Amino acid sequence: MSGGLSIGVDIGGTFTDVVVRGPGAPERILKIPSTRADPSRAVLAALERMKTEWGLAPADVARFVHGTTVATNAVLERKGARVGLITTRGFRDVLEIGRQMRHQMYELALDPETPTFLAPGRFRREIDERIGPNGAVLVPLDEAGFARAAEELIAAGAQAIAIVFLFSFLNDAHEHRARELITARHPDVFVSLSCEVDPAFREYERTVVTTFDAYVKPVVDRYLENLAAGLTAAAVPAPLQIMQSRGGISGTATARLRPVRLFLSGPAAGVIGAQIAGDAAGARDLITVDIGGTSCDIALIEGGVPALRSEGRIDGYPVRVGMVDVNSIGAGGGSIAWLDAARGLRVGPQSAGAEPGPACYGLGGTEPTVTDASVLLGYLDPEHFAGGRMKLAPELGRGAIARAIAGPLGMSVEEAALGIHRILNAQIAEGIRLVSIRQGHDPRRFTLLPLGGAGALHACALAEELGIARILVPTNPGVLSAAGLLAAPVEHEVSAALPRAIGEVTMAEVRDALDRLDARCGALMAQENVARADVTRRYFADVCYSGQAYYLEVPFAPDAVDPFAALADAFYAAHDRTYGFAPAAPVRLVNLRAVHRAAAAVLPPQAWAPNGHAALRRHARILLPEHKAPVGAAVYDRAALKPDDTLAGPAIIEQDDTTTLVTPGWRGRVDRVGNLVLERNND
Amino acid sequence: MQTTALDPVTVEVVRNKLDGIANEMELTLLKSSCSPIVKEGLDASASLFTLQGETLAQAVAIPIHLATLIPCIARILAEFPLETMREGDLYCMNDPYLGGTHLPDIAVIMPVFARGRPLAFSATMTHHQDVGGMTPGSVPTHATEVFQEGIRLPPLKLREGDRFNETLLKILRRNVRIPETFEGDLMAQVAACSVGARRLAALAENYGDNHLTAIFADLLDRSETMTRDVLRALPNGTYRAVDFLDNDGVDLDRRIRIEVAVTIDDAGMTIDFAGSSPQVRGPFNAVPSGSLAAACYVVRAITDPTIPTNGGCFRPIALRLPEGSIVNPREPAPVNARTATIKRIAGTILKALANAAPGRVPADSGGELLVLAFGGERPDDTRYVTGELVAGGAGASASKDGVDVIETDATNCMNLPAEALELDAPIRVHRLALRPDSGGAGARRGGLGTVREYEILHGNVRFTHRGERHFIAPSGRAGGPDGAMARAVIHRAGGGEEVVPSKLVTTLHAGDRVVMETAGGGGYGDPAAREREKVRADLADGKISAEGAKAYDAAPIG
Repeated sequence: MSGGLSIGVDIGGTFTDVVVRGPGAPERILKIPSTRADPSRAVLAALERMKTEWGLAPADVARFVHGTTVATNAVLERKGARVGLITTRGFRDVLEIGRQMRHQMYELALDPETPTFLAPGRFRREIDERIGPNGAVLVPLDEAGFARAAEELIAAGAQAIAIVFLFSFLNDAHEHRARELITARHPDVFVSLSCEVDPAFREYERTVVTTFDAYVKPVVDRYLENLAAGLTAAAVPAPLQIMQSRGGISGTATARLRPVRLFLSGPAAGVIGAQIAGDAAGARDLITVDIGGTSCDIALIEGGVPALRSEGRIDGYPVRVGMVDVNSIGAGGGSIAWLDAARGLRVGPQSAGAEPGPACYGLGGTEPTVTDASVLLGYLDPEHFAGGRMKLAPELGRGAIARAIAGPLGMSVEEAALGIHRILNAQIAEGIRLVSIRQGHDPRRFTLLPLGGAGALHACALAEELGIARILVPTNPGVLSAAGLLAAPVEHEVSAALPRAIGEVTMAEVRDALDRLDARCGALMAQENVARADVTRRYFADVCYSGQAYYLEVPFAPDAVDPFAALADAFYAAHDRTYGFAPAAPVRLVNLRAVHRAAAAVLPPQAWAPNGHAALRRHARILLPEHKAPVGAAVYDRAALKPDDTLAGPAIIEQDDTTTLVTPGWRGRVDRVGNLVLERNND
Repeated sequence: MQTTALDPVTVEVVRNKLDGIANEMELTLLKSSCSPIVKEGLDASASLFTLQGETLAQAVAIPIHLATLIPCIARILAEFPLETMREGDLYCMNDPYLGGTHLPDIAVIMPVFARGRPLAFSATMTHHQDVGGMTPGSVPTHATEVFQEGIRLPPLKLREGDRFNETLLKILRRNVRIPETFEGDLMAQVAACSVGARRLAALAENYGDNHLTAIFADLLDRSETMTRDVLRALPNGTYRAVDFLDNDGVDLDRRIRIEVAVTIDDAGMTIDFAGSSPQVRGPFNAVPSGSLAAACYVVRAITDPTIPTNGGCFRPIALRLPEGSIVNPREPAPVNARTATIKRIAGTILKALANAAPGRVPADSGGELLVLAFGGERPDDTRYVTGELVAGGAGASASKDGVDVIETDATNCMNLPAEALELDAPIRVHRLALRPDSGGAGARRGGLGTVREYEILHGNVRFTHRGERHFIAPSGRAGGPDGAMARAVIHRAGGGEEVVPSKLVTTLHAGDRVVMETAGGGGYGDPAAREREKVRADLADGKISAEGAKAYDAAPIG
């Protein structure tokens, strides 16, 4: 298959991005409108265009990697399956009770904090069975009772059944037997077992993630099946591969088996894309800031490795699966500027979204947004917004700012627009600072990598606020996710609970547990199109202090001279980095984890090919903070900038998917692969 | 005074930074503390204060911390005049009778300097795992004097310049049960204060200290204006309400009365507690900082949530706290269990305001945070102490059903997973369920309480049950019936049942079972007005029984 084409397809809410690479040919990029009803249609449309526009035959596609929002959308739009939940007797309501904490601290009329919609009471049953905290069977599985419960749920319309028994992470026999009882009679009903989805203690968190898995399973299954069938029909020989939330890819078999691992498929691809863009520029420590219309996503990459978290949130609910650590704050280009009751100027968190969008979109929005300010300040060209796909009406934005902000405050519209930018930048900078400090890092030693339509517009201001000296604007921030798909490793990860004190557990027991994990990973990897020799194995352990409930993941080297001592040391180091102290107290194992990965064939970064036009488009008058009068700024065409070209702020660099604002005190240089590197002047 | 108008943009930028600084302090505090109560219980808060002692910005995870540092700052300023403070100085205190809350809560306060002149204070409060006294954990249910509750610290210098007060630290180390943890948590407070001081000083370099001081004043004024505007929209008048705590754990048959008269007028909101019970023998007395926290929570809850939270929001509040009462006890009354009291105070003020703002205030919530503690031995003779905090249901509101089993008003704690409990202690959890029919009926139904059933598997277990709402039900609102009262029963292995009188310390033996049911929220509006499909759905989901459905029976269910 070598010598074939590699295709990365990232489906977003508005656009489906396609990156095509092949040996000896320039990288090609397609942006086509997403097809919300059936997202796979856009994928097939892309294949068609590849054929007609570039003469690339589907038969030459050797890799097809896909990042999808289908699982996430099923949750956000409440379009998942009808799920039945069956639990140990006495624990039917765990899903609905949750952990009893509220997020709306000062709200009087509260909203539920738990995802009861997944399986309301009428779709929950409890049956006799019980495993004890040491894994022993206390009450045998009541098979007849279970079968009856399952029948009732299926008769009531359940398309998927989630099974969550207490302590199944220590003894999975009852859950496995329960699945057999269902599939024997109903092979078409989807089943999710908690011992497979999330074999770890704390029943609420395990119940939620298992029930989410069941909820999205039929949707994801249908989607991937359609897509795979479409690829086959289009004569694409490559197997379909899917990006998972941790930043690794897998074949569809695994994705269909464990769809709950797809919630951050898209963002994970973006983080991997940022990481490879950084690698190409020699920047291994990155803070990515993706500023879109309604929100701003912040992620950290340290030493070329994206930060992961072991539990995240989907639509506000906890999902305990490993994922890239992407933190969202409600600040973006669509954030609305408003005056509070004491006539204080505020920005967000309300957003005008994409519809009606900022006032200058002319789609009926009347409230002033950050984007309206950006146009008024001269940063965005109303004639060439989004690569000319959209014409803006700057007078509508100006009017909105005048009416809502400048007039009431007795300031000029220019002052108001600058103010809106300063406030948004202060909010995002504080957000970035908190994310870095939470992970134990000082943001100043990182390179800022702006993404999204508006990231590069705010990057210099954010870097100033944070004391960051270097900014990397990748060549195509808009399709970084699609590019990330092609660079991600194939990865399989499985874990098992082993709640034992170190000093009590033996290496033989651990070895045995790791062997079983390896066997499971190996079976998954065998379904992928990778050579066995390319697979690297790594092990991790979740470890905590004895008597404490919260654990940290640390690498585990079973072949070390004294693996347990090394594990304890690694835990102390991680604890010190995360929490700032680490007493040499006894520690416990919680979970063991095996990660098998096969790195993607690293394609050498493509040399940057400028379009040959004149780089300098025009001079613009822009407004900047701390400058009373408009200043002249050179406006460049990003696609025309050549390697080693340099420029100095104030300047604007335009490209189809973003606009970069270089403020005074910063200078930029184009590197060999086309990245724009901005650095602060030393004076 | 500031004469030229401030730039509204700079004011808002500074406000965002102050919030960011408070959050960074809180993160530092949580991250560098050692004890689970801080790390997992989030029982700590970080704030910035003006030189006048008003809150500039505060990061809180639990409303009970809201504003509780205000009386501490006032006391420290009274004892150590500002002119005597030097850069690097740190002050600490915990004495409830001098402005503190209860003894485990220690305040650490640091003056922040810019250009050699004081600019503000950074301050933290942490609930320490143990500060000595008669029981481990320093919250003895059976205390009858504050002296039994731990070591008392009047306002003291913790550090002078760069020199720590070693005398104080030595005394502290000898008076707490886990000195390493204690000192670790105390130093986390120091670290958090230092982070706040460093960032505030940097802010002063950017904006100028005089300019900043003017901005601080402006921010407080703005929040005050907005809060007063909302209060002014309420009709003037005095609104009254009464509610009760079950008992003080000592005199089991004596209910504790909380009475408030909330006056809304041009001065703002005055809350008079005349008519409330005299102070009690058990540890449920609340010193004034407790009522202040409850009042501040209520003001934030009934006003616009977009108003930036700072001392300006609290200016309209005045409290009248009768001396010697449950809300202003005389020394040496014990105070450690005042959380239940603060929750009831918050609920009673809200209940009074329901008359001022019909439709805005939901029915009473369960209003309890059941405290359970088990102490015993495992089969291998090692000892365990474990416990949990269990919520009831939320009251229904005009627009929504109450949420089932959720933390409300002044507290916000997590429960304990059954699997975590069973992995730690020889106790089996048989049931962890919603409590059907416990929510008050109503056009909107009250949230359900929870049922939990535990069985002791081994040995003798010291068991503490600190409940509420066993004797007085959470009220419904606007014609909605009350929520169900809490109850708890011990089923002895050898037969026999004992009803828990809200508060109990007893011994359980292997085979004994305890069944706890927390209170439901009150209903809102006429039950007959509830949509039939909602009644049917509740029935189908098991939230109400066929019997319970009759409460909605003006028209029979089809």
